[in-house]
Amino acid sequence: MPALSSTMTEGKIVEWLKKPGDKVGRGESVLVVESDKADMDVESFQDGFLAAVLMPSGSTAPVGETIGLIVETQEEIAAVQASASVAKAKESVSLDSSRSSQAPKESSPSQAKQIGLQKEAIEKSSSAPKTLTSQPTRVVVNDGRIVASPRAKKLASQLGVDLATVRGTGPHGRIQAEDVRNANGEPTSVPWVAESNAPASIGPVSLSAITNKSENKKSSEPLPGKCFGTPGDTVSFNTLQEAVNRNMEASLSVPCFRVGYTIETDNLDVFYKQVKPNGVTMTALLAKAVGITLARHPQVNAACSQKGMAFPSQINVAVAVAMEEGGLITPVLQNADSTDLFELSRQWSDLVKRSRSKQLQPHEYSSGTFTLSNLGMFGVDRFDAILPPGTGAILAVAASQPKVVAGKDGSISVKRQMQVNLTADHRVIYGADGAAFLKDLAYLIEKKPESLAS
Amino acid sequence: MDEQLHGLPPKPLEIGNLDTPYSSEYISSAFIFEPEDLVPFHTAWNWQKSWQKKLFENIEEPQAVWILQHPSCYTLGKGGSNSNVLFDSRNNPLFIDHVDRGGEVTHHLPGQLVVYFVLDLHRYKTDLHWYLRELEQVVIDLLQELGLCGKRVEGLTGVWCGSHKVCSIGVGCRRWITQHGLSLNIDCDLKGFSEIVPCGLHGHKIGRLCNWLPGIRVSDVQPIMKRLVLERFRLRLKK
Repeated sequence: MPALSSTMTEGKIVEWLKKPGDKVGRGESVLVVESDKADMDVESFQDGFLAAVLMPSGSTAPVGETIGLIVETQEEIAAVQASASVAKAKESVSLDSSRSSQAPKESSPSQAKQIGLQKEAIEKSSSAPKTLTSQPTRVVVNDGRIVASPRAKKLASQLGVDLATVRGTGPHGRIQAEDVRNANGEPTSVPWVAESNAPASIGPVSLSAITNKSENKKSSEPLPGKCFGTPGDTVSFNTLQEAVNRNMEASLSVPCFRVGYTIETDNLDVFYKQVKPNGVTMTALLAKAVGITLARHPQVNAACSQKGMAFPSQINVAVAVAMEEGGLITPVLQNADSTDLFELSRQWSDLVKRSRSKQLQPHEYSSGTFTLSNLGMFGVDRFDAILPPGTGAILAVAASQPKVVAGKDGSISVKRQMQVNLTADHRVIYGADGAAFLKDLAYLIEKKPESLAS
Repeated sequence: MDEQLHGLPPKPLEIGNLDTPYSSEYISSAFIFEPEDLVPFHTAWNWQKSWQKKLFENIEEPQAVWILQHPSCYTLGKGGSNSNVLFDSRNNPLFIDHVDRGGEVTHHLPGQLVVYFVLDLHRYKTDLHWYLRELEQVVIDLLQELGLCGKRVEGLTGVWCGSHKVCSIGVGCRRWITQHGLSLNIDCDLKGFSEIVPCGLHGHKIGRLCNWLPGIRVSDVQPIMKRLVLERFRLRLKK
């Protein structure tokens, strides 16, 4: 029985749309479940055959209960049907679908996959922008003593999650409800961040909290930070994190320097508002501005090689994207100087979507000639970035914030300003090069942002 | 030259620890339809089904909301029980069975404002109970603006004024894309509700806003409903 809500404890099977023996296609509705006043079509996440219905239409089952079995081939149907009653008796607490492959198989000799918690299945089959972090292996992470919040315990029993396999992220490794949900394969309620230089906004999860207090929509409560381990633990790096580490360490041999600039963004913000309805994102705007400016300052697009200063034939702006499960990736906007702003926005949206589902081709994340790192959406006022190997410079972009500014004539006004910070390889790019590049970039953003659309 | 230099090893590069979102441009875009005439139930149902289909095919399609009134009819959810229908439903053209939403039998008629939502809950929260509570909150906020105190009843779905239920909710969902929604009785005739056990709730009286606010019309409530729906689901209207 899939969990269709965090507060759902049981569900009513309204109707089986398939009969035992029926072929079931991936994404095809198998049954309808009702919880409260809402019906949900539950879909299969793989091709196969409905072998057995363990809970009939009209019955009510607790979340996590096995309600039916799907097999891969027609031949397995009979075997499963024969053992279905055994399976039902044995598996009083069901495992979710993501774990079914590791589930004890003695109950059904064939490869019966349970229609267990199919929330995940639904998530998978709908090509949602969200990607699930599926843990390939599930290991016991608690040694004997399990400390969990009451809510986590309750949830674990509802979802059929073994607390011994759950990594706690609370104080002293205490298991929180959120950890149970994560362990159960539900997506983490991480914020998605509005793509802008505005202060960070919390995503859909706290929608109600935000809309309830419409008067202070902007000041959303900060979220707790992400952590990959438990206090006292040492957790090995994942592949992506290792790759990032290698690149970081490589940068230690590069003689880097930093140069910063404060850019007024009032005009850019006005322009952004105008083009935003056409699907233009702040990332695309910044990449385009950087691309155009790099075209006028090819030295800043260059990199150091053994043979000398290498000038790439293209201006490819890479933009850093953090990956949910750790590490980050830098999808590349090719020819950012000459590609139309709207096309850049479309490309960016596509790249980010595919990077989250790990479908990027190597050239789509490794061909950057200049990198952009934007933490503006978090309200960060300044930071500096580490230079990716093989490139000459990276620009760290902070938030745009209103500031009281004194004019040359002594007048005082409020302007929006953002700080940018260039990290560059001094062997190729000198302070004067960086400064000239930043001045030109500031001029473009401050004085003629509308030229970004041309 | 740049092959050698910039054809970097197929390993991701670095940068700061940042979380760049996927494009959020499409997330809030939506259409709101407000047909002036009464819309037969089947027509509105088909509109929703085809819009839902559009969203299945392209996750970036705008969402849609309909605010309308139906001619008199009775509808029964798939999981609903015929025993709550107190008239002979066979061959009754006003009776529509097996509607793909949750909930028991309900009654629609002029004077009742119906709001249908085709929303992708991936853009909000994939939680059906959360969604039901949000729908209730729209109505509670609306009643508050009208000076009435709407409330929930623990364990049930809908909105009550005092001891009278004024708003019914029923939702159908596939791949987290919703259809159906809520109905709010404004100045409709309540006689028809005696033909059924509304929502299968015995002993619950059905109310309408004009009992507390004499003279109130659907046209008074509709603009408020529209505004509150837009606000709650952060919808940005497509032109």
